[in-house]
Amino acid sequence: MTCRVQWCGLFGKGCVALCLLTLGLLVQAARAGADDELPASWVVDPYVEMRTQPGRGYPIFYIAERGERIELLRRRTDWIEVRTERGVEGWVHVDEVGRTVDGAGEPLGIRSPGREAFTERRWEFGILVGDYGSTDALTAYGGWHFTRNLSLELAATENFGDASDGRMLTGSVVHQLFPDWRYSPFVTIGGGVRETDPRATLVTVEDRVDNTASVGAGIRVHLYKRLMLRLQYKHYVVMTDRDDDEEVDEWKIGISAFY
Amino acid sequence: MENRHKRVLLTASLVAALLGAAPVAGQGVPTDVIDPQVERRDIDPAAIDSENIEVGIYAGMLSIQDFNSELVYGLRAAWHISEDIFLEASYGLSEGDLTSFEKLSGGAPLFEDAERDYEFYNLGFGWNALPGEIFLFGGRALKSDLYLFAGAGSTEFLDDRWFTASVGVGYRLLLNDWLAWRIDVRDHLFDRDTFGDSEITNNIELSSGFTVFF
Repeated sequence: MTCRVQWCGLFGKGCVALCLLTLGLLVQAARAGADDELPASWVVDPYVEMRTQPGRGYPIFYIAERGERIELLRRRTDWIEVRTERGVEGWVHVDEVGRTVDGAGEPLGIRSPGREAFTERRWEFGILVGDYGSTDALTAYGGWHFTRNLSLELAATENFGDASDGRMLTGSVVHQLFPDWRYSPFVTIGGGVRETDPRATLVTVEDRVDNTASVGAGIRVHLYKRLMLRLQYKHYVVMTDRDDDEEVDEWKIGISAFY
Repeated sequence: MENRHKRVLLTASLVAALLGAAPVAGQGVPTDVIDPQVERRDIDPAAIDSENIEVGIYAGMLSIQDFNSELVYGLRAAWHISEDIFLEASYGLSEGDLTSFEKLSGGAPLFEDAERDYEFYNLGFGWNALPGEIFLFGGRALKSDLYLFAGAGSTEFLDDRWFTASVGVGYRLLLNDWLAWRIDVRDHLFDRDTFGDSEITNNIELSSGFTVFF
């Protein structure tokens, strides 16, 4: 156990150092890409409002008029920083930029995410908390939707009990029955591995690694923009070396973001 | 005399003809006209540089309940989902020193050194409750956000793991388009039964760091 703690510490410190190094390189890479030719569009509304910062509460300090060409510098959440022909830079809401046109006269059509973005999401990431066999449990997961109904998910779970702690990695297939619904129910089936770590203060027992199989159901609810609420129940079968497999019920609630 | 007049007139008309010849000769050749085609270029909205990810490092002080305050350092990564909400993951390392009891009693230490390593992560959501602008350098306005954070995670300390809830408040100041400076105050709460009874411990982390947006 001590070994593991030390190893984790070392790993963590290495991680921090590595990230420090890569951070610099990352910034360089991000800056290098900024010199490429920028996408641009033409204003067709009477004007577009430019704000000092990306946010609805910031003051409008300038407008770009109809017919004016704007360069699209960067996007941050629902705001796009633009540069006018006169070199004035400011932030315009994505819905307004979506109504500007490209060289062919076609509106760009981009807009802030809503229900249709929820229906057509490709990726989702979330955090769930809840109860795994009467212990506190925490899950982080990511999912990839390869059709409107089906997605693949990978979840990492950690649970904290009085008798033992555990970590679990689960891969699953998720089928959402009605992708167009705001309240979208789903069923899921999966498998994975579980490491059970009996509390050291009790008796000296080896850590166990077992395979798991799981089945579950739940509901996702689109909340706002890229956020959704997720409620789920899963039933796990932990295939132990003992005579009986361990069966565990899990209830979770969480918030996820998608794009 | 007459010849001289003729010569002068001829020379003059020749010069005039030569001078006037160029535009006359040019009329027969098609000249360049301005291409009426406007630059045709379709835009892929994905080509717009999207900068919603924030990654950075931080360092500060962690006050471990029943222990002392120690250096803490770690990493943070956030995904800005909207101008109001962001999803954030943090990972940090610290180390607990002697407890007050160990210092006062002067006896054998209760824990081994390796057990005093304090390692934690948390995942949660931040809400930019008070977005603003500050004027630091003359007329230049810098974007700032005061945000609230709530999350859950795990703490590994004293050879055990604990489910940890984290709440806090932070301040982010964008120094330029991509670099931000942050200050965070967070309380990491977990139930610990190391000293017998199970008790909620408050472990307050005060930190500052830099993040980059990309």
